[in-house]
Amino acid sequence: MAQMWITMGPQHPMTHGLWTLRVKVDGETVVDTEAELGYIHRGVEKIAESRDFTQITPYCDRLCYVSAMTWANSYIYAAEDLLEVEVPERAEYIRLISAECQRLASHLMWLGAYGPDIGSLTLMTWCMRDREMFLDLLQELGGSRMHYNYPRIGGVKRDIPVGFADRLVAKVKLFERRIEEYEMMLDESTIWLVRLQGVGYANAEDMVNAGVSGPNIRAAGVNYDARWAHPYSVYDQVDWEPAVEKPTSVKGADCYDRYRVRMEEMRQSCRMILDAIEKIPGGKNTNYSNGDEMILAKAPTRAPEGATGFSNYECTRGASKFYIKGGGDGRGKNPYRLSIRSPMFITIPYVAKTMIGYKVADIPAIMGSFDPCIGETDR
Amino acid sequence: MGMRVSNEQSDSAAESCVAILTKRFGGSEVTSTVEHHSNAFKMAFVRVQCPPQHWPAVAKSLRFDHGANYCSMVTGTHFPDGGDDRGWEVVYHLMRQPVVDQKPFTSTVLVASKLTGSDIPLEFEIIVTLPQGDEPSVPSVQKVWVGADWNEKETWDLVGIRFEGHENMHRVLNPHDSPEGFHPLQKQHKLRYHDYNEMYDDAQGFGRKPTDEGRVK
Repeated sequence: MAQMWITMGPQHPMTHGLWTLRVKVDGETVVDTEAELGYIHRGVEKIAESRDFTQITPYCDRLCYVSAMTWANSYIYAAEDLLEVEVPERAEYIRLISAECQRLASHLMWLGAYGPDIGSLTLMTWCMRDREMFLDLLQELGGSRMHYNYPRIGGVKRDIPVGFADRLVAKVKLFERRIEEYEMMLDESTIWLVRLQGVGYANAEDMVNAGVSGPNIRAAGVNYDARWAHPYSVYDQVDWEPAVEKPTSVKGADCYDRYRVRMEEMRQSCRMILDAIEKIPGGKNTNYSNGDEMILAKAPTRAPEGATGFSNYECTRGASKFYIKGGGDGRGKNPYRLSIRSPMFITIPYVAKTMIGYKVADIPAIMGSFDPCIGETDR
Repeated sequence: MGMRVSNEQSDSAAESCVAILTKRFGGSEVTSTVEHHSNAFKMAFVRVQCPPQHWPAVAKSLRFDHGANYCSMVTGTHFPDGGDDRGWEVVYHLMRQPVVDQKPFTSTVLVASKLTGSDIPLEFEIIVTLPQGDEPSVPSVQKVWVGADWNEKETWDLVGIRFEGHENMHRVLNPHDSPEGFHPLQKQHKLRYHDYNEMYDDAQGFGRKPTDEGRVK
């Protein structure tokens, strides 16, 4: 049969956003692929060059609405590297808790979107129900459901409200039981196993060489995680261990391993939150006023020319990184250049190539298992 | 319980890397230093200043001698006022990740405190400075790291730095039919709303025109 090119996207349920996957097929088999990105390129890097350091945080929230808190934190750590700021420990604990709540919400969004890809519509409704619990918690902190603008250079915007700790613990404990429900539903579903197992193999060394990171690497059997390897925040003081999965083939991790590792990550996030809220310095039911030195350190507003800062961060989809050069407009109030590394920008072209050799029907299963997000890809 | 790579580990890893790099490239203009972050735990990283003609050799050395197996980010910057020697700058961020392929049904659980030598995760920052000019170019490292491929595409697309030897270079974030020579992160392109104060002075935007009007689509 003659080979032909099929265009999947930019509006296609598989894409989880706006991008185009061009697939060359020979009958039902994929023989070549090409990814086309850039449909929602907003020029955040250019906009940032004319904004103060504090004004950039909301733009970073909007890089990915599914994990706004982790992206804002990611920028903040790089800005603190540039401006040489010491952060109070209580603020680091609050950042950890908020980032892990966001990780839970983001993985739930992934699972909820991945379920319908595979044919399980129930999953969408269940995940959205549980995600709402964590969005409510984040709303208590940031004041908004999705774009929080919560972390500040030197700390956080405001302290955790009184009673937040109790609601957090109750919801996380409830959710720990819900994870078991998800696993009972999915791991015993024949359709789920048949569609995921033995599909979309990706090798650990190949992935690292190609720039893939985060849960996708840990699914391939190595517990490499920026949270301990390039440490920030107080992850060394709370109780957790990096999620890792045992791949079943010499070819690496399949879609099922990547699903399993994200479920395990959600468990670890729960464990981390429950431990951190008990250990938080200053007490979990204390509410310090805005700008108190317990939650916000003083930070300079200008960076001199020649100063640079960058920081690794374990975002929900992999390792993100910001690189900032100081000394821009406004006598150093703006960055001269701000560069964003998005984990998915590197991953999507790699995933497109891993599909070669599989059937057309496997494309949604493979693509969804890597958790694509186009907001951060196109920036 | 949580864990992390300690400062002593990252210091010793960075120092041994710098010692080997200095021994290997000492006579040329390649200089390498141990630097420290100013945030969080003040971890060490390796900064290498490298002229463009030596970059492929340094890249291969980092990849195969020092285990920098991960190309994290490529950043291009335009310095129109930077003098004759520094018109453009390309910064590569590399990482060393102790990740190896696994046998089926096994996993490697790394413990941070037990990592030694070249297993310690480490960051590298390589700064390639290019002279002033209209056509900045730097050798491509697409063949050394697969991950550099799309990073270099993006840097050419947005900043306009050419990567010599890069195969299949094309626009990734800008539209495919963007005018040739249009690279929005070059400093001659100004934002339409350059200063937010302008937005308040002329909220409807009637009096405002892009500063690069007529020159781009």
